[in-house]
Amino acid sequence: MRKLLKPREREQMLGTAYAFPMGIWFTLFFTIPLGIIVLYSFLKRGLYGGVEWEFTLDAYKQMFNPSFGRVVIRTLWISVLATLGCILIAIPCGYAMAKSKYQTVLLFLIIIPFWTNSLIRIYAWISILSTEGFVNSLLIKLGLIDQGLKLIYNNGAVVLVLIYMYLPFAILPLFTTIDKFDFSLLDAARDLGASKLEAIIKVMFPNIKSGLSTAFIFTFIPIFGAYTVPLLVGGKDSTMIGNIIVDQVSKTRNWPLASAFSMVLTFISLVGVFWMLYNGKREQMQSKKTTQQSLEQNIKKHHLIRGEK
Amino acid sequence: MHKSPTIATALTILLVSIFLISCQKDSPSQGKLYLYNWTYYTPDAIVEQFEKETGIDVIIDNFASNEEMFAKVMAGGNEGYDIIFPSSDYTSIMIKLDLLEKLDHKKIPNLKYIDPLIKEKASYDRNMDYSVPYFMGSSGIAVDTSKAPEGYARDWSIFSDERMDGRMSMLDDMREVLGAALKHLGYSGNTTNEQELSQAKDLIVTEWKPNLVKFDSESFAKSFSRGEFWVSHCYPENVFAEIPKDQWDTIDFFIPPEGGMMYIDNMVIPKGAKNSEAAHAFINFIHNPKVYAQFLDEFSFPPTTNTTASKYMKNHSFAFTSEDMSNSDNIMDLGQDLEKYNTLWQIIRYEP
Amino acid sequence: MNYHTYSKKSSVSFSYTVLALTIVFLFIPLFVVVFFSFNSAKGMQWQGASLIWYEKLIFDSPSLWAAFKNSLIIALTSSLTATMLGTLAAIGIKWYRFHGKSYITTISYLPMVLPEVIIGISMLIFFSAVKIRLGMFTIFVAHTTFNLPFVFMMVSARLDEFDYSTVEAARDLGANERQTLTKVIIPSVIPAILSGFLMCITMSLEDFVITFFVSGPGSGTLPLYVYSMIRYGVSPVINALSFVMILGTMVIAFTFRRFLKTVAASS
Repeated sequence: MRKLLKPREREQMLGTAYAFPMGIWFTLFFTIPLGIIVLYSFLKRGLYGGVEWEFTLDAYKQMFNPSFGRVVIRTLWISVLATLGCILIAIPCGYAMAKSKYQTVLLFLIIIPFWTNSLIRIYAWISILSTEGFVNSLLIKLGLIDQGLKLIYNNGAVVLVLIYMYLPFAILPLFTTIDKFDFSLLDAARDLGASKLEAIIKVMFPNIKSGLSTAFIFTFIPIFGAYTVPLLVGGKDSTMIGNIIVDQVSKTRNWPLASAFSMVLTFISLVGVFWMLYNGKREQMQSKKTTQQSLEQNIKKHHLIRGEK
Repeated sequence: MHKSPTIATALTILLVSIFLISCQKDSPSQGKLYLYNWTYYTPDAIVEQFEKETGIDVIIDNFASNEEMFAKVMAGGNEGYDIIFPSSDYTSIMIKLDLLEKLDHKKIPNLKYIDPLIKEKASYDRNMDYSVPYFMGSSGIAVDTSKAPEGYARDWSIFSDERMDGRMSMLDDMREVLGAALKHLGYSGNTTNEQELSQAKDLIVTEWKPNLVKFDSESFAKSFSRGEFWVSHCYPENVFAEIPKDQWDTIDFFIPPEGGMMYIDNMVIPKGAKNSEAAHAFINFIHNPKVYAQFLDEFSFPPTTNTTASKYMKNHSFAFTSEDMSNSDNIMDLGQDLEKYNTLWQIIRYEP
Repeated sequence: MNYHTYSKKSSVSFSYTVLALTIVFLFIPLFVVVFFSFNSAKGMQWQGASLIWYEKLIFDSPSLWAAFKNSLIIALTSSLTATMLGTLAAIGIKWYRFHGKSYITTISYLPMVLPEVIIGISMLIFFSAVKIRLGMFTIFVAHTTFNLPFVFMMVSARLDEFDYSTVEAARDLGANERQTLTKVIIPSVIPAILSGFLMCITMSLEDFVITFFVSGPGSGTLPLYVYSMIRYGVSPVINALSFVMILGTMVIAFTFRRFLKTVAASS
């Protein structure tokens, strides 16, 4: 609370000096262009792309259409599955990295594969999964199957490759927060008789909430808007929302519809993001208090019991 | 002042980096020719030869579909390209929208080598006022004979063949796929009749799509060469480029006798081109039969556009010939009516 | 008190197993890429080892190198700019109150939630409206914009755990604003800055969709180059380049390992 004692003007000036370069940047290159898109979603489509200056709600009306509905539902379940996969893998990875002595090496090992162009890696996956690809040849050699399995061009392949593509985006934030986590708290909980898993879930998870929500946002949102992965490893029924938006811009030349879709997507994701940021912050603060209090109490008790002995 | 020096340093570095970047960008000068072309569509050897002969520096940017190219031209205006290579439907759109510069035929004497057949098909610009054909070709069907069962149909009904369920792909392109179905039903590939279109959609949804593994315009050639697809609705040059020459006899490529959808790719000079002189020179250079023969040989293309070039060609076996395309329709711009195709295509593509 | 050291070991080894498997998983496609870069034929079948693609890469791929150079310049400059702007803003927003704070906080999350296509299109329209010629500069601006939120978020997350009393202690000891920033705050958030920077580089080298919309004549980046080759089958020359890049980054990482170690230690 001592912060409040600082002169108000000084704070104002410093805050402005620190944050305004970014603020100006975003206003110029993000807010203004975004405003243009909002505007576009209410305009009439131009026959050959672009828009005509005439107000209409056509774009929003066109959106309610059973074909699009199915794509939205598919996008949702694929994104949820892939995000869950990423986070479930990323938690133990972040944990192991935080505990390791070779953090920088591991950090680089996680990132290096991503310095190879994503399309190249997607192609590599296609050749790994294809009927005469590496996985099938291996299985055939091992005598497990006698005919190549169809592993590629279906939604399963889409989920797998999406997990692959976005895994580091989950590992990095989780690693950063777990790294700051005070592991002695775990030991304390263990001393108090909690099982290892219990200690991790009850003591560590509440303390890495911010990392978890960051990981969630970093993976779920780009996966939700994925374009190349469903296009290249998906089958005939793997279209996701990202593909629709690109198709509207580049194939059917319906800019207002693409804009309207993006408006709705942005709105939904925004609500989600704010809800999570708010929740994460609140719970984090609460849990910090409660774990600390209970730990202190427990430690006191512990000492008391020991003292009695 | 509290403006800390760090921020000042940061800004300085920022400005310097911006400066460095702006230096990077080369502005079009007299000696530079900017092409906006399909990937791999102009052999490097030809470009080098042109550079050597004229001293003009050629810079090529690539696009993978007409729509991509057009979205950019529409949104950004012409951003300094001197020659663009759109297909016929987009050529006609660009003419309608007054985006193209009128060509000076005096500067392109080699126009005389262009096959009159093309002029017939190019209804949007018969006199080549705005566009010069670069190549006329067609999509078709490639079958991997080492995998496909005996006695498959050599027409569009091959996609109804349940023996190859999950092993066939069609292009992810509404004009190509709906066009194929329309031709199979005996209609025009540019029809705007809703009943005909709806029949075509039903044919695709009930007969063809269940057997397809994917609508693929991007990597069909790779998947075909890998044995993943046994039958591909494709552009032949992509497939043949991916497969070694000694295995070409296992590929059966044909344009269905009912006809299919064909294309003419053109060279056009957009309004605002900085180097129109060099652009005319390049167009003329391409249609020099000796040069054009090199281009055809590079892709094993048949001499559909510039027949004189065949004299200088080394390759004489082609995936298809002009005659194969006699029943095919050139993809035309449909204006407002394209929306009918869009609606049906959404059902085909998005509903399982 | 030996009872939990055993189980601790087992759980660490569980997480280490997952980590090891994950790294293998992340590298599998790279092995494939390297494998094909040494294949003498263009297709998918192995037809004997050769260095033909490396030869082509070095002597016969001017347009590829031009694209690669563009990519590198843009990745470095945009990541640097984004890292600086993002870090400063995160510090300012964490500790100070000022006009426009909530606006900046809100707007800084938005570029992450918007589909890339939309960012690309909106910028394209914007640039053409204000008559900025499409080219390297516009790509730089776009990349900085989509990189900024990531740096901002990562540094902010790190600052959440940072004990403000350290800053006050530094001030009490007579440090001025600049000294506090460079000697106290920045060193303690360096891991976040570094991961933010690495993430920026990665995303910038990767980005295709946004770059596609804002690129102009002669400013094509590597992903644009690769994407445009898709239909014709990506040439193994790209595989060769990928391997060279992997080796290059490893060499750089190895050379700077001392520096990185001190950086990591300072956390």
